[in-house]
Amino acid sequence: MSAVALALWRRSLNEVLRVRGALLPATVAPVVFMLGISGQFGELTGLRGFPTDSYLSWIVPLSCLQGAGFAGAATGSNLARDIEQGWFDRLLVAPVPRPLLLVGPILGGITRSLVPATVVLVVGLAIGAELPGGVPGLIALYVACIGFCAIAGLWGVFMALMFRTQQAGPLMQQGVFLAVFLSTAYTPEVLLRGWLADVAEYNPVTYVLQLARQATVEGIEPSWAHTWPGLLALAGMGAALLALALWALRRLGR
Amino acid sequence: MSVPSPSSPAVEVSGLVREFKGGIRAVDGLDLAVAAGEIYGFLGPNGAGKTTCVRILTTLLRPTAGVARVAGHDVVAEADAVRRAIGVALQEAAIDPLMSGRELLRMQGALHGLRGAAARERAGELLERVGLTQAGDRRVGGYSGGMRRRLDLALALVHRPRVLFLDEPTTGLDPTSRGALWREVRSLNDEGTTVFLTTQYLEEAEQLADRVGIIASGRLVAEGAPDVLKARVGEPTLHVELADPASADRARTALAHLGSVQAPDPAAPTKVELRTAGGKAAIAPVIRALDEHGVVVESVEVESPTLDDVFAAVTGSHLEGAGAAP
Amino acid sequence: MRREAGVVVALGRRALSVQFRRAQLLMPTFVLPLMLLAVIASGTSAAQDLRGFPDVGSYLAFVVPGTLIQGALLAGLTSGIAFAGDIEFGFFDRLLAAPVRRSSLILGRQAGTIGLSLLQSVFFLGVAALAGAHFEGSPLALLAAVGLAAITAVGLGGVASAIAIRTGSLSLLQSIFPFMFVLLFTAPAFFPRDLLAPALHDVAAYNPLTYVVEAVRGLLTGDASAGGAGAGLAAAVGMAVAATALATFALRERLRTL
Repeated sequence: MSAVALALWRRSLNEVLRVRGALLPATVAPVVFMLGISGQFGELTGLRGFPTDSYLSWIVPLSCLQGAGFAGAATGSNLARDIEQGWFDRLLVAPVPRPLLLVGPILGGITRSLVPATVVLVVGLAIGAELPGGVPGLIALYVACIGFCAIAGLWGVFMALMFRTQQAGPLMQQGVFLAVFLSTAYTPEVLLRGWLADVAEYNPVTYVLQLARQATVEGIEPSWAHTWPGLLALAGMGAALLALALWALRRLGR
Repeated sequence: MSVPSPSSPAVEVSGLVREFKGGIRAVDGLDLAVAAGEIYGFLGPNGAGKTTCVRILTTLLRPTAGVARVAGHDVVAEADAVRRAIGVALQEAAIDPLMSGRELLRMQGALHGLRGAAARERAGELLERVGLTQAGDRRVGGYSGGMRRRLDLALALVHRPRVLFLDEPTTGLDPTSRGALWREVRSLNDEGTTVFLTTQYLEEAEQLADRVGIIASGRLVAEGAPDVLKARVGEPTLHVELADPASADRARTALAHLGSVQAPDPAAPTKVELRTAGGKAAIAPVIRALDEHGVVVESVEVESPTLDDVFAAVTGSHLEGAGAAP
Repeated sequence: MRREAGVVVALGRRALSVQFRRAQLLMPTFVLPLMLLAVIASGTSAAQDLRGFPDVGSYLAFVVPGTLIQGALLAGLTSGIAFAGDIEFGFFDRLLAAPVRRSSLILGRQAGTIGLSLLQSVFFLGVAALAGAHFEGSPLALLAAVGLAAITAVGLGGVASAIAIRTGSLSLLQSIFPFMFVLLFTAPAFFPRDLLAPALHDVAAYNPLTYVVEAVRGLLTGDASAGGAGAGLAAAVGMAVAATALATFALRERLRTL
């Protein structure tokens, strides 16, 4: 049965291996955001409470996560296209356990997400971002990205199964956008005011960001205290979205 | 066309109902049975419920009420067993343009638990069977419509299914490709595969099917062998075109004993219509009779009832496919 | 002349109505900029404590100009995308076969862009006001700001249309989306020019959007020192004229090689 997951994983990689320039927009966008946002708001690190002097270093993990998240959302839009064009029927008519049909595409999304995440990191480091977290920090960053990509993928899959049309694509992306930015995206909790401060506190992605920031932010050194909330957030979101996706899958055809 | 074997039906449907949002009943109390080894033609206008019914039988859709069994298994309770026994060639020819024919066949094999060397061998075998060996390693995106259909059929056969569902397999194909596909379907049927064929082409149903089921508004309105159904509707009509309108009365007298002569049509004074059970066989006696009475004939045409006439007789309207002659 | 004007209006109306036909199309052009505004306004409001940050009554009113210009960018890009869609799916051929002046085809598209931008700006300002933004500028100034954004949209729409005509590729235009943000971020869209990173600060001087954003900010906050309306108008009109000419030229070239 794992042969099925493998076959579908390989197929999902065709999207980027056999289509010229397919990964370009997905990679360029987070890089542009990273450069733009750090250029615009760089001076914010002058404020007391910022755990680092380098705003670029603060933003790099955000952009990595953003890139990974959108790669995950793309899994959803690819599935929506497959459903709309009838390819998914081919899979549904085969004697394969329904959940297994999702494993390949999600793995494909994760594989694809490694490109924008790495490119953002490399570009960021090249123009001056710091890497105080060393290897443990890097591992934390990639765990955060891979985990978030899987979650974004499950969200995208859920949307695809509910709406069964590619027009749900924007919904998938907006969901990722909201999750990423209604958090400590631009400034740490201490500097947040008003409604955003409350939302950020309850947004699990805030803790995933913290997990990722262990790599580049001086004031967030790699430690279990900074890690477990992020892992718990990933596990929690993952479990919830997996349940929703499986429920939507069972609902197909009813 | 092979004779159905006396074993359990390949497809059994009883009281099938499928309701959609808004109370629309696409399938409204359908009963049918397809014997193992049969080619069953499923005919009906667009919107009659054909596709919905096929989707239920292939486990893609759940019925609202009623029972459906395929290859002896219930489509709801034993969905996986059904999936193992059926092959489906979907109307949209759902294939991935980025993959090659061979890769698709191997993937299909993987979906059915076929791996490694066995999968590769089967892929090669099927490519040859449908005449795509040359194109097998090219991306499907570059295949013609006919090639895609052939690949679709090959994909449906990877796991040697007992029942094959073909949803409008020759729509949009040129006559040569259509004929090739028909030959393939007959060959599969000779090997013992039951074929459930949905089509809008009357000729396809008449040529291939052992029995035809005509569906309208979600129900079966007629079922049986094509010839039997047509005979029920009426006898063939011979259209005789005369050289001289003045000989029309003589012609009518001459033909009176050969069948039922239809009333003259003032708008077509040179035409005489004769209804006779003999059909084509009656052409010679008709010409002889007219000759004996000194009537000169321009042409004789035989018009047989079609399945569209069957449909019209039962529902009062025509099948859309009737006009779209292949 | 009057007939051509009628054609332009009709084409403009069509271009605009397509936007509203499906709710999903509204998300990127109306909702996305507001989401970014909300996040930036709340997430970075502590910036007011920075030394060097101008004294502003309402932080929200300070960052809104960035949203208006973002809206203009999106309106322009959306026009280009719609144009590319028309070309790719053959509708444009039908327009070409009609007895319509070529320039009217471009102007019609621009008219639609203006309409979209006006609706966006009013929507953004309305929501911002509801959220507590204080606009010190006079009603006339606010209207001028909205107009400035619309002219900017025409400029960007012209560039996008030119690309659409040259390439006829819908997917290419859709992938330009991130590059649009380059234009936005290399202007003092959400932060004062003096506080931008040195590299951006230098580039900003050459970006026409800088002058537009600062002009809009000046108009909305009633603080002329934030940016001269004249400079902004000149930049916006300059872009609009140049871009429309670019698009018309591209169209002539395309027709010549057909």
